[in-house]
Amino acid sequence: MANLSFSHKLLVGFIGSLGVGLVGVIALTIWVFASHSNTPSRPDPITINPTAAIGSSGSSVAIKDITSKLARELGFDVMPAVTMPLDNPLTDAKIELGKILFFDSRLSGNGLLSCATCHQPTLGWGDALDINFGYPESLHWRNSQTIINSAYWPLLFWDGSTKSLESQAKAAWTGATGQNIDSMLLEERLAQAPEYVAMFKDVFGTEIPLFDDALRAVAAFEATINTVNAPFDAWIAGDESAISASAKRGMELFVGEAGCSACHGGPLFSDFSYHNLGVPANEKFVVDPQRQLAFRYQNRKKGVPEHDYREATNDLGLYYVTKLEDDRGKFRTPFLRDLVQTGPYMHNGTISTLEGVVQFYNAGGGSHDNKDSLLSPLGLTSDQVADLVEFLLTLSGDPIIVEPPAMPEYEVAG
Amino acid sequence: MNRSAGVVIVVIAIVLFAIPVAVATNSIPGSTSPPEWVDEPAVSTAYGSQEELGKVLFFDPRLSDDGQTSCASCHLPSKSWTDGKALSDGGTSNLYFRNTPTLLNATKQGQAFWDGRLHGSDPATVVREHIVEAHFGNLDGRLMVERILQVPEYDAAFRDQFGGEPSFGKVLNAVVAFLNTLESEDNPYVDYKGGDNSALSDEQIAGLNLFEGKAGCSSCHSGELLTDNDWHAIGASDNPEIFTEPERHITFRRFFKILGVGTYAQLREDIGLSALTHEDSDLRKFRTPSLLEAGATAPYMHSGMLATLSDVVRFYNDGGGSVVTKDAAISPLGLSESEIAQLVAFLESLQSPIEPFTEPEIPSYGLLTLGGNQ
Repeated sequence: MANLSFSHKLLVGFIGSLGVGLVGVIALTIWVFASHSNTPSRPDPITINPTAAIGSSGSSVAIKDITSKLARELGFDVMPAVTMPLDNPLTDAKIELGKILFFDSRLSGNGLLSCATCHQPTLGWGDALDINFGYPESLHWRNSQTIINSAYWPLLFWDGSTKSLESQAKAAWTGATGQNIDSMLLEERLAQAPEYVAMFKDVFGTEIPLFDDALRAVAAFEATINTVNAPFDAWIAGDESAISASAKRGMELFVGEAGCSACHGGPLFSDFSYHNLGVPANEKFVVDPQRQLAFRYQNRKKGVPEHDYREATNDLGLYYVTKLEDDRGKFRTPFLRDLVQTGPYMHNGTISTLEGVVQFYNAGGGSHDNKDSLLSPLGLTSDQVADLVEFLLTLSGDPIIVEPPAMPEYEVAG
Repeated sequence: MNRSAGVVIVVIAIVLFAIPVAVATNSIPGSTSPPEWVDEPAVSTAYGSQEELGKVLFFDPRLSDDGQTSCASCHLPSKSWTDGKALSDGGTSNLYFRNTPTLLNATKQGQAFWDGRLHGSDPATVVREHIVEAHFGNLDGRLMVERILQVPEYDAAFRDQFGGEPSFGKVLNAVVAFLNTLESEDNPYVDYKGGDNSALSDEQIAGLNLFEGKAGCSSCHSGELLTDNDWHAIGASDNPEIFTEPERHITFRRFFKILGVGTYAQLREDIGLSALTHEDSDLRKFRTPSLLEAGATAPYMHSGMLATLSDVVRFYNDGGGSVVTKDAAISPLGLSESEIAQLVAFLESLQSPIEPFTEPEIPSYGLLTLGGNQ
């Protein structure tokens, strides 16, 4: 180097530093892609007592003569008590207020839709449709989930996109495909009924009803809608005769060969995580123009790269929340309680019966590039399928019927 | 090697770095090629202009949340583009708290709405409020665009007339293009001012002379459009239905709450401009409407409380109403009964004849090939 002129040294220095910069950029790029992992960038979901008998592949361990004691050792149990957030403790008055709000169809853009419209008590607190109707002219794109046991979810919706039951009520009330009402307009509709004003003051101590308190009240009411008298719960508590022999065989498969409990474990039968099963797309998006535009609207609203907006043919699920490629097509592992009341099944309602669900898994799920490796054909006989269905039926309790309460009346303000 | 060769190498290196950056940032949003429709739609070629496209959108109820209300629901062609009601219905399950103005000459005025909250030079934002706001269309703008994109005629028309696929801004601009065509035509007063001395009767001319003279109307209702594009308080009374009909009072309260009026719940009067400016001196000031179509757009005032032109003239003859900020120009006029009749006759001349109007056919949704450049 010493023999080079100044300009030569400068030149070498320039090229050298460009080279170093280039190497640095390449190294940084490799590091970013290598460290890109499967972990969502939000807190880990709650895991409740993952079942001990299952290996990581979720299959091959055969259980015989299952007893409730063994099932408890595997992590199953009666449901724990509901826990409410610290800023929303349950009181009778709040629950009563929440019930009225839940059934009040004035709390919608067109004045015709209440929470109960899509979450009907007589339809398992869902709507018995594959894909929810949504709002007039603004169709929905996913299956309406049940309110039953909804207070146990830390994150709501099929893709875990809202952080609490209270936030879910906000998304549904103000969402264009929900009740589509402006939150300030909702407050003023409440304020027009002196009975509401009095109830909010009694429960929350406010002079005027506030939207956030309405969310709390609705969540409080929803927290009281939980599985009642499921035969499984009697059995797991020790009554060995509470479920049939067929159901017991079904449970043995559930925790054994069929591997269901790899995801559907614990008292709530969910790992609170997200998996891609390769559920086939709902044909409505192929043949119904209004569902097509609904699908694009969701993609635009949730924010996806342009090529996805233009070319997507299927619901991208958890990807919308995390924007991680590995999360495409993943949906929440639902609870398996009260299935009798909550068909049709899957995020798009494409499987109508419980037998259909079991056969879906028996076939190894559907097809998708990102399908969870846990799924593979199970080789179950038709008797075994029947036993599994019999078991699933024991997780369903009594219908939870709540009569719509009387609505507070608007009065002319003084 | 010499210095200049070194400089060349450095420049090349920088350019090589810059190319990927340029490529990455150069993607143009918006598809330039049409989507793949399942059936080749029979696309109407009737939308030969931006105004034509805007006219169809004006009548399309899918520009409201539940697909039930179009612009024409409150701005009817058969009623000089108003609704003939004291107070507008507003959108979906609301009822509104002010009178529906005519759209004739609307895009030429200095402000929009009775409180003049939007500037006249930006009618697109006025259209936006009607589609999106909770008291009107209550429709998420992104959802509105997806509805438009699902209609083959609209997609083709926007590409032809606006150079690209439908977008929120283009929809607004199309409607504005149509609104720009709504102007006074064969209006006797306009014709008279244009030189046709037979356009007004003698009584109407006498009324015009009062309008511009003794009655002092033209101190605010001035210029070509008979408005000074300014705000004045004249004490026009409010409509009690705002406070006796819950659906109206709800909309009223929300509106003033949104504007940050702390007393929104206690208000029992429409405070007009002061809701925007928060100045006491603007209390109950409303903008001067154009009178060019006054003969056809009863009832009158922000509240629709004056049912006829005779009521209006008598109101001013009495010196207006009672309000602390009343404009100094408003005072009793001392008009005789025959002068009142002349003034009313003149005001009745202020209208374009209502021509038969054929509402356009609203095009249907089409089916796209899912995944095919939708």
